[in-house]
Amino acid sequence: MTERPAPTTAPHAAGRPPLRRILYGVRRRIAVAFVLQAAGSIAGVVPFIAVTLIAERLTAGTAPSGGRLWPLASLACAGGLAAMVLGFTAGVVAHLADNRLQLGLRLDLARHIGRMPLGRVSAAGTGELKSAIQDDVHALHSLVAHTLLDATALLTAPLLALAYLLTIDWRLALLSVLPLAAGVYLFGRAMAGAKANMAEYGAAQSRISSAAVEFANGIAVVKSFGRGRRAHARFLAATDGFSEFFTGWVRATLIPSTAALLVVTPVVVLLVLVTAGVVFTGAGWTPVVDLVPFVLLGPVVSAPMGLVGARMQQIRTGQAAAARITALLDAPVLPEPAVPAAPADARVSMRGVSFSYDGSTDVLKDIDMDLEPGTVTALVGPSGSGKSTLAALLLRFHDVTTGTVTIGDADVRAIPAADLYRHVGFVLQDVRLLRATVADNVRLGRPEATDEEVKRAARAAQIHDRITALPKGYATVVGTDVVLSGGEAQRLSIARALLADTPIVVLDEATAFADPRSESLIQDALSTLAFGRTLLVIAHRLATVRSADRIVVLDGGRIAEQGRHEELLAAAGRYARMWRSQGLDASVDLTAPTASRDTSRPDLTPKGTHR
Amino acid sequence: MIRHLFHVLGREASGPLKRLLALMVGAAVLQGVAFALLVPLLRTLFSRGPGHAWPWLVAFAGCSLGYAVVQALCLSQGFTVGSRISRVLHRRLADKALDLPVGWFTGTRAAELGRLASQNVIQVMNMPAHLLRPMISSVFTPVTLVLAAFLFDWRVGVVLLLCAPVLLGVHVWSTRMVRRLDRGRDTAIDESADRVLEFAQNQPVLRAFGRTVDGHADLENALRAESDADRTLIVRGVPGLVSFAFAARMVFALALALQVAWALDGTLAAPTLIALVVLTGRLVDSVSASADLGAGLRIARNNLERLDAVLEETPFPQPTDPKVPTGTAVEFDQVSFTYPKTVASSTNGAAVAPPAVLDGISLRLPERGLTALVGPSGAGKTTVARLLARFWDTTAGTVRIGGVDVRDIAPERLAATVAIVFQDVYLFDDTIEENVRIGAPDASAERIRRAAELSGMDRVVAELPDGWATRVGERGTALSGGQRQRISIARALLKDAPILVLDEATAALDPENEAILESAIAELAVEKSLLVIAHRLRTVLAADQILVLEGGRISEQGTHSELVDAGGTYSDFWRERTRAEGWRLAAR
Repeated sequence: MTERPAPTTAPHAAGRPPLRRILYGVRRRIAVAFVLQAAGSIAGVVPFIAVTLIAERLTAGTAPSGGRLWPLASLACAGGLAAMVLGFTAGVVAHLADNRLQLGLRLDLARHIGRMPLGRVSAAGTGELKSAIQDDVHALHSLVAHTLLDATALLTAPLLALAYLLTIDWRLALLSVLPLAAGVYLFGRAMAGAKANMAEYGAAQSRISSAAVEFANGIAVVKSFGRGRRAHARFLAATDGFSEFFTGWVRATLIPSTAALLVVTPVVVLLVLVTAGVVFTGAGWTPVVDLVPFVLLGPVVSAPMGLVGARMQQIRTGQAAAARITALLDAPVLPEPAVPAAPADARVSMRGVSFSYDGSTDVLKDIDMDLEPGTVTALVGPSGSGKSTLAALLLRFHDVTTGTVTIGDADVRAIPAADLYRHVGFVLQDVRLLRATVADNVRLGRPEATDEEVKRAARAAQIHDRITALPKGYATVVGTDVVLSGGEAQRLSIARALLADTPIVVLDEATAFADPRSESLIQDALSTLAFGRTLLVIAHRLATVRSADRIVVLDGGRIAEQGRHEELLAAAGRYARMWRSQGLDASVDLTAPTASRDTSRPDLTPKGTHR
Repeated sequence: MIRHLFHVLGREASGPLKRLLALMVGAAVLQGVAFALLVPLLRTLFSRGPGHAWPWLVAFAGCSLGYAVVQALCLSQGFTVGSRISRVLHRRLADKALDLPVGWFTGTRAAELGRLASQNVIQVMNMPAHLLRPMISSVFTPVTLVLAAFLFDWRVGVVLLLCAPVLLGVHVWSTRMVRRLDRGRDTAIDESADRVLEFAQNQPVLRAFGRTVDGHADLENALRAESDADRTLIVRGVPGLVSFAFAARMVFALALALQVAWALDGTLAAPTLIALVVLTGRLVDSVSASADLGAGLRIARNNLERLDAVLEETPFPQPTDPKVPTGTAVEFDQVSFTYPKTVASSTNGAAVAPPAVLDGISLRLPERGLTALVGPSGAGKTTVARLLARFWDTTAGTVRIGGVDVRDIAPERLAATVAIVFQDVYLFDDTIEENVRIGAPDASAERIRRAAELSGMDRVVAELPDGWATRVGERGTALSGGQRQRISIARALLKDAPILVLDEATAALDPENEAILESAIAELAVEKSLLVIAHRLRTVLAADQILVLEGGRISEQGTHSELVDAGGTYSDFWRERTRAEGWRLAAR
């Protein structure tokens, strides 16, 4: 299917209730399905009427003749077949409408997520986004493809049946509504408090789920501490709680809900009608033959009641899903600049920048900072001091609360997203690789790069040898054919950044989990990446960045001090204390006798001599 | 499928379910008899008049009321039995989890277990009320009606009886067909779910590299493939879905045509015909109900299979005659280990046969002293720790503690002997104090204070406003990595086991806290057997022996100075680490 589905939520559909808005794009198809289903339901009553007529003719007193009976028998069969064919066609039309709706909605949602501010995306959590695109859209399926048609059938057939019965005998017809009325009343009683109970039901269910996940995730700890039985008991307490709640709920509504179901069963409906029929015919109010349509169609009148509970539940689920979908679609997108600006050069400057995630506590306060083109600026400070957040502002993962971030004199908010990321690249601690070939992962920022360029970047990032050792080389699919170690993934992401070749790079220096060999390789790769670029480094180990052109010390969201390593040591402030507490002034000389500490740039390019 | 349900439930819960099924069959038969009684009732009404119909009406009413009573019992028992089913299944799942090796519980498996315990069990719990009752009624009511038909006109009975196998055949064929088509779609759904997750998780990278939905072809293709698979199912599945309803209508048409023909040749009286048409109508109606159960049956079967898969996992063998270790020296004797295929594929997504992680290693840890295990990532260091604590059993070779095979040591004793601090810390959603006390619930305040001091936990507690009473949040997310790590070290120390394993326990610590831990390690090594897995070689310097693990084998063994002089992997490591510590980042 190459046709692009029309946007499902057309702008003029806005302002309608969520469900109607979502269904707007497929409303014609749904209408067709409705009409087909209604016609099918009408056809479904025809056989009963035909059989009634047959009964009349057989009992009319004259000998039955084939010429009078066969057309009716054929009509009965044809009606049944037509009902089936129409019903299924309606089903297929509704399913196809649903199919189209699902694809359209999923693409719309994915596109919208792609335009929402990144901060909002990560706040929502990938679980929530996935469940909107997959589960909520899927929840609409029962509604669109089944429930709407069922509802049509459940309304059309009983109404038609009732109308026909009224023409036969209005008193008996009214009696046939009796079970239905009783069913509605009892059902209402049974559903009292259902909303609160449903909420509790869902809550209890998710308590079980998290208790089970906690039990399974913590099993290593639990078992290695010999505490298996206790965790076991915690989990069972959650499940027993659910079980008790459920039993209590059922017990409280058992009588009305059982009665509601029983009173509309065909047997009970027939009992009412046949008893009344015997009385009526015995009193001479009704001819015997008139009982036939009541026996045939009586159960049809009350049938919907048996299904209404399940259908109402589906409609509610569908409405809730639709509300979540529209809420996500209505979430504001990152505004595209009205007057796009272009960065003049690779100079970054932050002026009076403050930022708050929640609007009340500032994570960053009054930050003034400049990154000169071609220099290394290091962000240091205790965890929670705002280093990562500051770097994220440059990448426009969030927008500043006050102040400005400019690149080459252009406000980042005025730079169109695609242009921005041609200027700023990054290598973050949490390396993300796609389930695609190694080559495509490297090529992410420049899809048009040749194989040769990809290899050159991989070589510079010290990952080429590892790639060629993989079963399918550059065509190996990451995540399926191979799982790369943390260090390897990091080098691949450095290759990616090298190929993207942005003048500004944000770097999260983190090699805590790498073994010594891959740490060395990563460092060589980073040195290559740093060469000639404007670099903002989030540093966790002070030793790494002591030759930086500028070290910015963050503390509690403010810049505590900034300057070169030697200047900061001489200032004997916060940085000097950190340096001493890390024990670096003593250990560097001991552990790094070969590293030249005083030549200004010993590590610009890969050394390549260590192997 | 009912057999499957009994199997999943086990013996203890099957009694009430059997009784419930018997009640359901009873209700279905009574319903059939009540419908059947309409035939003589209507026949009498037509042929002899309402005055003569009373006895039949009384019989019909009696039968109907009997049905109502039994059906009411079914409805109420359905919930009671369902609730019992959920209890039994939860208990069986929990018991099973205790019997499985710790290594079985990967992240995927934990999530799966959560889903099983909530969604799947609850769907199975609803089976009696929502699935079994209509299913049984759609079989036993028609059967009763067919048998009854013989009483009124044997020819109609024969015709209906002959139709039964045809209906059954059509039903089996159509379910199989839809199931086959479903499977194709499931694959497409899984793929697109994966891609959606990838798209959501990788937003920063995708955007920064200019990939919106339209640029991320993998996602769009996966969504379109799912949509296409769905359309295929809709279009190709129609014959399967229509066939049963069609067959049921045909049965009605055939019965009607024959009855009209017999009425015309005078072999079937008009009142009987009318009554029998009513009966046929009810019959077709009851049978058709089963067509709507198809989807529910598929889901139920799926649920049962998934529960069964976990409940049928081979339990971890426990010693029947546990032996008591003499001493706490650890010995690995020619130990090889390969992860079971299922675990490898669930973590890697690859279906290839996993390679051996450990390949015939032998090592000894003395009763006192510090042993360091070093080696490149993926060399099998963590696996050594896991085998020592018997998270898995070896593929070949033996792990002994105090001369006794770990497989012969009672689990509680083994747990008391070995304490492990893992790389990925797991904390329970509780207070810091409770998380530390897991190590020894009855520990005195003095012992807790001591453990806190050694691990640097006392500083964590001092940093937090609520101190020991601070809640750690779900999975410990309210704390920093370093804080979490110190809690997990404290609880291992509190346990005071003679063997202590630290697997990358310092990775998330800053240099200051690392130094605290290093001195604690030196102190503990005097009285305990310590195994430290570390990348930061500074921790390793003081070890009594260093084992270098490479490609699943021990390639070097000795003290720091011996190994540096040997000029092997370890000395390479040392050189690179030294260089790394001197490395600095600069532009230009």
